[in-house]
Amino acid sequence: MTRRRVDLLQGTLDVLILRTLASGPNHGHAIAKHIQQTSEDLLQVETGSLYPALHRLEAQGWIAASWELSDKGKRARYYRLTARGRKQLAAEQSKWEAFSRAMRLILNPADQEGQ
Amino acid sequence: MNSFFRKLSWLARRRIREDQLAAELQFHLEEEAEERVAAGMPAQDACTAARRELGNLGLMREDTRAMWSWTLLEQLLQDLRYGARTILRNPAFTILAALSLALGIGANTAIYSFMDALLMRSLPVADPGSLVVLKWHVAGNKSVHDSVVHDVSGQIYDDPRTGATSTIFPYPAFELLRKSSDVLSVVFAYRPARKLNVMVLGQAEVTGGEHVSGDYFRGLGLAPAAGRLIMGDDDRAGAPAVVALSYGFAQRRFGDAASAVGQTVLINNTPFTTVGVAPPGFFGVDPSKAPDLYLPLHADLLLNPERSPGPVDRYLDEHYYWTEMMGRLRPGITIAQARTALASKFNAWVAATATNDRERKNLPEFLLQDGAAGLDNLRRSYSEPLYILLAMVGLILAIACANIANLLLARATSRRREMAVRLSMGAGRWRMIRQLLTESLLLALLGGGAGILLAVWGIKFLTNVLATRSESFGLYPELNLHVLAAALLLTVVTGLLVGLAPALQATRVDPMPVLKESRAGGLHSGERRGFSFGRLLVVSQMAICLLLLVGAGLFVRTLSNLHSLDVGFERENILLFKLNARQAGHRNPEILSFYRNLEERLAAIPGVRGATMANSPLIGAGAWGWPVLPLGKERPERAPGGHGSGFARTATRVLGVGPGFFSTMRVPLVAGREFDERDRMGAPPVAIVNEAWAKVNLEGANPVGRRVTSFGLRTKPQQMEIIGLARNARYDDLTGDFPAIVYMPFEQNLGVPVDEMTFFLHTAGNPLGYASAVREIVHQADARVPVEGLNTQVAQIEREMVPETLFARLCTAFAMLALAIACVGLYGTTSYTVARRTGEIGIRMALGAQRGVVVWMVLREVFVLAAVGLAISVPTALAVSKFVESFLFGVKPNDPESLMLAVGILVSAALLAGYLPARRASRIDPTIALRYE
Repeated sequence: MTRRRVDLLQGTLDVLILRTLASGPNHGHAIAKHIQQTSEDLLQVETGSLYPALHRLEAQGWIAASWELSDKGKRARYYRLTARGRKQLAAEQSKWEAFSRAMRLILNPADQEGQ
Repeated sequence: MNSFFRKLSWLARRRIREDQLAAELQFHLEEEAEERVAAGMPAQDACTAARRELGNLGLMREDTRAMWSWTLLEQLLQDLRYGARTILRNPAFTILAALSLALGIGANTAIYSFMDALLMRSLPVADPGSLVVLKWHVAGNKSVHDSVVHDVSGQIYDDPRTGATSTIFPYPAFELLRKSSDVLSVVFAYRPARKLNVMVLGQAEVTGGEHVSGDYFRGLGLAPAAGRLIMGDDDRAGAPAVVALSYGFAQRRFGDAASAVGQTVLINNTPFTTVGVAPPGFFGVDPSKAPDLYLPLHADLLLNPERSPGPVDRYLDEHYYWTEMMGRLRPGITIAQARTALASKFNAWVAATATNDRERKNLPEFLLQDGAAGLDNLRRSYSEPLYILLAMVGLILAIACANIANLLLARATSRRREMAVRLSMGAGRWRMIRQLLTESLLLALLGGGAGILLAVWGIKFLTNVLATRSESFGLYPELNLHVLAAALLLTVVTGLLVGLAPALQATRVDPMPVLKESRAGGLHSGERRGFSFGRLLVVSQMAICLLLLVGAGLFVRTLSNLHSLDVGFERENILLFKLNARQAGHRNPEILSFYRNLEERLAAIPGVRGATMANSPLIGAGAWGWPVLPLGKERPERAPGGHGSGFARTATRVLGVGPGFFSTMRVPLVAGREFDERDRMGAPPVAIVNEAWAKVNLEGANPVGRRVTSFGLRTKPQQMEIIGLARNARYDDLTGDFPAIVYMPFEQNLGVPVDEMTFFLHTAGNPLGYASAVREIVHQADARVPVEGLNTQVAQIEREMVPETLFARLCTAFAMLALAIACVGLYGTTSYTVARRTGEIGIRMALGAQRGVVVWMVLREVFVLAAVGLAISVPTALAVSKFVESFLFGVKPNDPESLMLAVGILVSAALLAGYLPARRASRIDPTIALRYE
């Protein structure tokens, strides 16, 4: 079954990166792979937007970076979530949940009635 | 905040971050490749695929970098560096462009500073915004002469909107309106004191002053620089004689303000005590005058006791208009409310002063105007010329901008490859436009900086020129914050305007064809579009040129018409100066012999061919006038009488002259004789009339021997015998029909008071060389009498023509400049055309075309451009020239000769500019041209 790729909405990349890093530090390539796999291939991150986003988040202070050795032994730039980043993630996550609930309510009113 | 500091620290470690980013991306690439290899792709393909997946590395790096710092700032710095490099690389172009911009921006800044000083400067007093000026007007078809205004001392001027308007009121009106404390918190009055003889520490000079009411300084909210200022108790009949000095005067005569307090000054031979000094920078309420002394209103009883009307009349007469007033609005009251309240009071009062029905129909109506900038005399005389000058310098700037835009365009089209490469690498079009605009802005800033320096010089130059027009020039233009901000705005707008079209043009490039083309390429669509924009610029330059040429033609002809005017008397080699012996203390009858003796001694100076005097200068100082009619005619009801300017042609002007006036001033006598020793005080009264008077009153019959009645000011009508008929000569204004003049011997004192006399010396050689001899003789005769207004007759006449002279000179200079710039532009465009069509020309010549045909081919294009330019500008010139009509003399605004001359000059210049490239085209060797293709 071929699944249509869903386009990434504006501004969603940030929260996806933060959530990915919540489960542990990782480098850019792995983050992109993780997002792709976890979303069951629905979301694919363009490399061209990934690194600017990572550096922007770093500038904001929500993630921090350092050079570590990867599991294959190569040097890579690893990003991890900071305390502020965790707070930001929680805030973004609740915003998203509220938003998606609202969308669901409007788009599927029958469901609600059925409940 | 944290992100701010983070970015700041990253700025410092830029290089390291660049390397790290490269390493990071390299790692990503390797991971992608490995994944593909693990999935079974051969290694080589895996690398390529990974690389392709990554996409535009350069753009990605750029975007990432953008996260590191403030993009805009970085990009701006980048653009500035690049722009500076480009500018330095083409020094010739940069200097040319900067110079032309400097000229345009500098000229505009200079004129703007004048306008700022004229229109936007407020009085240097407390809260000028709440000041109001009280006026009245007689609207439209009503006439002031038929109204309650029986006698005036002051000006009634013609305003296009309100008709005959004036600021002078009768003193009882002042006392009435003073009590309007419901709308005005204070009302104060003032009146200029025309030339006063002021003697300080033994030195006499003639200077101007202002009579002020007690509330003047309090109303304006001024604090003295020393001592105290005129207060309420000083302004009453019988108060001690006190005076307040202006700061400049106190410094000049006493050294500093503090030492002036308490000193006695002799004003018109009357001692006054100095009670204080006004603050520095204060010049009264009229920017066109700067009085040196401030006297109480009632002090004129001390200064001019013999002046009529007498003391009682002056302050009680409801029909004698002489006091000017200003007030301050109460907080919360608007001008409209104050106007309504005051108008009802004044209009009711003035209606009660009407003595007959005709006057009741022509009542003056009250007006109230904003007074933040003081009286508007200066504004009225200078605003129109300044607007015209502003238009002229605006056109110059436009031409300079068009030129630079054209040059930038040409340069942009030659950078097409560079643009194409950058576009294909992912640079945004907007980013590149920004960079090009930064370049042109930098150029504009260079030009603007040089322009400010130019403006400083320009302001000095213009001030000198305009100041010769009046004795006290009240405009003090300076490069204040206002003006500099305007200059900066103009510079920025110019830079953006000049660079926008070339930037848009240059980046409207489709990268592929441009990249594919060879270096020596032919024409491309983008280029073609750019070229027609260049032609548009050339056409507009030529249109502007024509406007300036037409203007120059009109003004130059006006000036030459003015110069060749027949004034009716000798103007060369005449020295003028004024003396006022009465102010120094002389009285009747001794004053007459004083003047007579002086005249004899002056005539005795070696080199002086003749000396005479009159009670008024002949040009530019107004005239005396009252009815002088053949015996038997009654005094007409509404005939003007007094001293003023611009009497009607048919009204009689009167001039009191000394013996020998006509021979010294070379005014021919058509019949009869001159005044001589017979016509002294006590002898039978005589008069000489001129041809115009004879035409108006006697239908041109010979007046010699007839008797006339002179209805002089405030004297009984006096009978006189006409003893001579003089040729027409000018008196007061220079232009228009010759006025009717009656000359009388000043000694017979028939209605013209003998106080200030103007002396005319006919000299052999330069009149100013006799100035020191004159001063010496006058000083010996009486040291209390200063020599004032020393000048030559020619210079006095020139003063009347200052705006016309200025316009003629400036417009000609600008027209020549514009023509030069337009020709250079045309030359450049035509050369470019020739270069572009080299191949075509080569083919034509190879096929047998003659040289002449080729020249014509090129020139045809020049003609087309010129024709389009003329088609735009000729109707514009015809439409616009009516705005300068008031400054023209002897030339109609749509004068066909000037227009044709301008067209001819423009076309010939265009031909000349185009001829050289055309000749080059005809010399093209076909073989070389074809090989070039």
